[in-house]
Amino acid sequence: MGEQSKYLPECPEMGEVVRKLTEEYGGHVIFSRESEVYVEVPRHELRDVAKYLYSSGAFLKTCAAVDERPLNRSFALYHIFGMDSKGYDVIVKVSAPEDDAWVPSIVDVVPAADWCELEARDMVGIELKGRRLVRRLVLPEDWPEDIHPLRKEVPHDFRPPSVKAESEFRPPERGIPIGPYHPVLHEPEYFELLVEGETVVDVYYRGFHVHRGIEKLGESPRFTYQKIPFLAERICGICGFVHSTCAIMAMEKAAGLRPPERAEFIRTIVLELERIHSHLLWVGVAAHVLGYDAGFMHTWRVREPVMILSELITGSRKTYGLNLVGGVRRDIDKNKMEKIMKTLDRVEKEFKELANLLVSVPQIRRRAQGTGVLTRSEARALSVVGPVARASGLYRDVRKDYPYLAYEEASFKVPLYTEGDNLARVLVRVEEVFESISIIRQLLDKLPGGPIMHEKCSAIIPVDELIPPGKYAVAAIEAPRGEDVHFLMTGEGRPYRWRVRAPTYQNIPALRPMLRGDPLADAPLTIASIDPCFSCTDRALVIDVRTGRARTIKLWDGGVGTCRL
Amino acid sequence: MSIMKLLSIAARAKVVTRRYPFEPPVVTEGFRGKIEVDPKLCWGCGVCTRICPPNALTLKKREDGTLVLSYFMGRCIFCGMCAEVCPRGAITVTKEFELASLTAEDLVRNVKHDVVRCRICGRVIGPAVEMREATKSVGGAEAKYYDLCPECRKLVVARGIMTKVGVRP
Ligand code: SF4
Ligand code: SF4
Repeated sequence: MGEQSKYLPECPEMGEVVRKLTEEYGGHVIFSRESEVYVEVPRHELRDVAKYLYSSGAFLKTCAAVDERPLNRSFALYHIFGMDSKGYDVIVKVSAPEDDAWVPSIVDVVPAADWCELEARDMVGIELKGRRLVRRLVLPEDWPEDIHPLRKEVPHDFRPPSVKAESEFRPPERGIPIGPYHPVLHEPEYFELLVEGETVVDVYYRGFHVHRGIEKLGESPRFTYQKIPFLAERICGICGFVHSTCAIMAMEKAAGLRPPERAEFIRTIVLELERIHSHLLWVGVAAHVLGYDAGFMHTWRVREPVMILSELITGSRKTYGLNLVGGVRRDIDKNKMEKIMKTLDRVEKEFKELANLLVSVPQIRRRAQGTGVLTRSEARALSVVGPVARASGLYRDVRKDYPYLAYEEASFKVPLYTEGDNLARVLVRVEEVFESISIIRQLLDKLPGGPIMHEKCSAIIPVDELIPPGKYAVAAIEAPRGEDVHFLMTGEGRPYRWRVRAPTYQNIPALRPMLRGDPLADAPLTIASIDPCFSCTDRALVIDVRTGRARTIKLWDGGVGTCRL
Repeated sequence: MSIMKLLSIAARAKVVTRRYPFEPPVVTEGFRGKIEVDPKLCWGCGVCTRICPPNALTLKKREDGTLVLSYFMGRCIFCGMCAEVCPRGAITVTKEFELASLTAEDLVRNVKHDVVRCRICGRVIGPAVEMREATKSVGGAEAKYYDLCPECRKLVVARGIMTKVGVRP
C-alpha cells in the first residue's frame, strides 16, 4: 500500500467518505457492511461525487444498471468505486423514475465508466445525459430499438425476429481489419486499425459477438443459488474457477456466512493453480504471436502437468465443479498434497529455465521492448487491472488491497514494472507464476484441519433459504487477467440482479492508447499482451476512432490461440 | 546461443505427445465422466433432476402411464451433483468420456418406472417402486390407503369417520 501512495492520494477512511456524501452531496446510506457502503445520491450530484471519489484515489470497478421498477418504479445505476488503498468499496446509487429514465454520464470525469455506461443504456435502457459519444456496445445493430434485455418484462429466452439490416455504424475511413472472427486469438472479436503508412493512428473495436446472456439466465427461474456456481464457472474457459468463487463469495456475503477455514484454503490453492496454468498458456501464446513456435510448444508442455493436477484435485481439467455455497466438495488429502508438491517442483524448475531462455531471445526482446506502451496516467484513468496495470506501474492487486479467502496467510510479492510495454507485461506474468507456486506451497504447509463445508450447507440442502431477498454484495477476486468483480442484488431464491465484470472488460479500452503510434507489425503482439479473454468480456462493445488518412490492405489473419481449451 | 539452450531443453524433454487413441488416455483417479443410473436402485423420485444444473436429467411422464428418468449426456457437465444427492445411491460417476456419437439418441439413457394411479380418481400418485417401498415401512391402516391420492384419501377417511359417528355422508 505504501507503493500505492507513492503515486495516488491515499483514500480517505470510510467514515469520512460517508460523511462527505451524506452531508455535502445530500446522499443517504442504504446498506453497509464491513468493507462496503452503499450510498444513494440525488442524480444531479453524481458527477461531483464521482469527481470527488476519483480524485481521492478511488478506482472505478464498474457500474451496474438495475431495473427496479417492480420494486420502486424506477431504474437504478450503481457505480462501484474501489478504495484500493483502504480496502473498501463505495457503491454510489442513482435512481431515475421510469418515465424520465436518464442519469448523468460521468465518462469525462471517470474515463473508466465508458463501457459500463453504454452497457447500461443497451441492456436496461437508461439514457446518459451529457455524453458526447453514444452508440451501441453490447447489442448488435439489428436488435430492436425498444427492447432492453435486462428489463424485467423481457423473458430470459426472448429472441427478436431476425432482421436483415446493414450495419449503420461504420468508421468513416477504412482501415485494416483484424478479425472478424479469429484474429490474433481464437475468439470472435473485431479490430479495425487505421494506419498512416505503417503506423497505427487509431483503433476501432467491436466485440460482444458471443454475449450469452448469462446474467439474465442467472435471474431466471431456471436457476437457483445452488446451480449458479456451475453457470458462473462457464463464463470463462480459462479462469472459470475465479468466476464461480467470486459469485459464491457474493452469495456468502449476502447470506452472512463464512465457509470453514479449510475450504477457504482449498479455494485459494485452486485459484493459484488456475493462475499458473493461465499465465503459462499466455506465455506460450505470446511466443507464438512472435513466431517463436518452439517456445509456445515447450511452455504448453510445461503447463500440461498443472492441468492433470487440477483434474486430480477437482475432477476436471477445467470447469472444476468444486465450489458450492458454504464450502468445497472435495478435500485435499496427504496423497494429493504430495502430488501437488511434486508437480510444483517440476513446473518451477522447467519454467525457470524456459522463461530465462524466452526473455533472452534477442528477437523477442526487440519486438517486445518499447512497444505497446501504456503510460501510468492512461492506466490510471482507465482503471485498468491485473498484469496490465502492474506493468504500467500501478500497484493494484485484489489479493493485497482487499484480502480475501486465505491470502493473508501467505507472504508473496506483487511484481511491479514501470515501463508499460509488452516486455513488462511478459515479465510481470512470468514472475507471478513463481509467486503463485510459493503461495500454494505456503498454504499447503499451513492447511488447517476441520470440515470443508459449512454446517448449514451441503449439496442436498437448498441454500436458497439462507440468502434473504433485498441484500447487496460486491465480491472481487484477482483473476489471472486482473480484478474480477461480481455485484449481486438478491431476490426470492435467486439473484434479482447479478452483474459480472470480467478483467478484460476493463483492459480492452487500454488497447487504444497502446496501439496508437506503433508500427502495424507490433499490433498483434500488443493485442495479445493484455491477455484478452473475449468470452468473459462478452457475457455482456465499439471503440470509435476517427483520424488520419487510411489505406486499405486485404484481410489479415494472425491466427493464434488463447482462451479456449 | 539461445538455440543451443532450446535444443538442450528439447533433448531432455523428448517426445511427450501420446499416440492417443492408440494408447490409453491420461485419466487421473479424480476424474469425473458420464454417470450411470442403476435401474434396480432408482425409485424415480426426481431429486437428481432438481439439482442437475444443465437439466441433463429429466423426469417425464409418458402417455402409457410410465414415468421415465431420462439422462441426456449431450447436456451433462459431469459435475456429479446428482450422485451426491440421490437418496438411493442409484447413480455412479464413471470415468468414461469417449462419448462422441453420430446421433443424439445414442446419448440418451432412459430408466422407465411404472406408476401407481389413484384407485378412485385415476390420477398418477407416484412411481410404483417408490410407493411400494414407502408403504412397506408404514404398514397398518396407512397401507390400506397407499393407492389413493391425497384428496381421495381425505374423502375416504372423512366418510369412514362420519359413518362411525352415525352421520350420513
Ligand atoms: S435421485 Fe436417485 S432414486 Fe431419485 S430419480 Fe434420481 S436416480 Fe432415481
Ligand atoms: S453429472 Fe451433473 S450435469 Fe450430469 S446429470 Fe449429474 S447433475 Fe446433471
